[in-house]
Amino acid sequence: MTGPATGTATPTIEVDRLSKWFGNVVAVNDVSLQVYPGITGLLGANGAGKTTLLRVIAGLAKPSEGSARMLGEAVRVNPNLYRRVGVMSEQEAVYEKLTGRELVEFAGRLHGLERLAPAVDRAIEIVGLVDVQDRAIGTYSRGMRQRIRLGATLVHDPEVILLDEPLNGTDPRQRIEFQEVMHRLAAEGRTILISSHILEEVETLADSILLMVSGKLAASGDFHAIRAKLDERPYKVRVVAGDPRSMAAALIELEAVESVAVDREGALVVLSKNVDALQRSIPRLARDRAIRLLRVEPLDESLESVFGYLVDT
Amino acid sequence: MGPLFTFSLRQLASRGRLLLLLILVSLPVGLAILVSATIGEDETSNREFINTLLDGLLIGTIMPIVSMVLATAAFGNEVEDRTLSFLVLKPISRLRIVSAKLLAAIAVGCPLVIVSGLTATLVGGSGPGARIVELDGTFQATLAVGVALFAGFVAYCALFTWAGLVSTRALPYALVYVVIWEGLISSILDGVRYLSVRGYTLAIMHGLDDKSFAELSDRVIEFPAGILGVVIVTAGFLWLAVRRLDRMDVT
Repeated sequence: MTGPATGTATPTIEVDRLSKWFGNVVAVNDVSLQVYPGITGLLGANGAGKTTLLRVIAGLAKPSEGSARMLGEAVRVNPNLYRRVGVMSEQEAVYEKLTGRELVEFAGRLHGLERLAPAVDRAIEIVGLVDVQDRAIGTYSRGMRQRIRLGATLVHDPEVILLDEPLNGTDPRQRIEFQEVMHRLAAEGRTILISSHILEEVETLADSILLMVSGKLAASGDFHAIRAKLDERPYKVRVVAGDPRSMAAALIELEAVESVAVDREGALVVLSKNVDALQRSIPRLARDRAIRLLRVEPLDESLESVFGYLVDT
Repeated sequence: MGPLFTFSLRQLASRGRLLLLLILVSLPVGLAILVSATIGEDETSNREFINTLLDGLLIGTIMPIVSMVLATAAFGNEVEDRTLSFLVLKPISRLRIVSAKLLAAIAVGCPLVIVSGLTATLVGGSGPGARIVELDGTFQATLAVGVALFAGFVAYCALFTWAGLVSTRALPYALVYVVIWEGLISSILDGVRYLSVRGYTLAIMHGLDDKSFAELSDRVIEFPAGILGVVIVTAGFLWLAVRRLDRMDVT
């Protein structure tokens, strides 16, 4: 669970033993968590269950078991709750024939905003689409669509903001602007839950993270603490090299390596508690000792995605 | 009327869809003009006009197809385009969402069908050529056609609005329903008329002017049953659509 800065704040989002399955496929498995004001990153590989979990939290999908509450209220079929919540779903579907401004206006009207025009102006300005607001959304780039959808999500100035992969299709400059906007909104006391499958995105945005692996909550809390904790876990890595004997001798000397074994196919199985260091060392060792490095892969399937994050960064 | 109703009107009244509907609703009028100009006044013509043009073409075919095209699209497009979440994540009750969609489908299609029906009836009753319909008191007959078409159209729209929420293939399923149930079975089996929107529509038309539409006397259900049927179908499918929207997982 992602804890509050003070330790006394009330959680904005509470998920209790929540599971969601589709037929035989378990998308979310017995997840309990709490989210507090500030920015929380929901991190996980594609298919880890992030979108399903967000959809249940948003009230779009019914949990198979367990419950989700937001701002102390049930999330399912609770229209009044949406006056205080803004949700941007993953899919890029938008009403293509509307202009960007019309979409944000439509969202504002559905929220029953009394001072519509200033709210729309503000939302469009936040997402930086003032110049193209009167163009049909059908002509927008992928990044522009994401931004106008974000504008429609923010038009009613929500207390809680749920964003599913909001940075898809945005360029580096837009990402920086987006981060600035999110930090500003979080500083105003809002709760922002952002899902992403890219560690770097979450690293620069979130104060704390929820890490989903195969439908389960693998870790939660302070971003840096979790990353350090993950780094300390022992990983099995399979290394295929041109000269396995020399490679094994070199690897065993590394501080990051606990043990090295040889499997039936002659590949090395390396056990490490510091996969970051191992990742950096293997290519260097191979180069220094002129050993041809053919393949490096994680072996523990259940941790593959976690390993992937760490290696990818 | 609310932003969702206005928006839904705009969605449903696309140029292509309107053109298709205009072609459809002009068929009964064209046929009425053609028939009134070419054939003589006799009992057979009167019977054929009521059976073929009003019942078979207008009430049995055009009205369900127009309502089907519009009402299945009311939610069907939102589901298919994955924009439904945009609506249900707003502070609007599910009843208001469904009502806005239903009213928009009715507002776009009902005037077209009613104008078509009224024009065809007027042409048939006092057309430029031979008078083929013995509509004693054309106003009452016209009113009966208009009210019946309105009631039937509303009931069909409620049914097909629900269908658009239940399946992404609502249109073909609805077409099969109209052809098999409303077209075939309800005209063969007497009891089915109590479970047929077409049966309700004919009952209302006949109930409002039993003299002009005496031809229908031996095959319509009672007038109150027709009214009750329309009310039950409309309210029932409106409730089912709200319930469906409540319970479904929105993608």
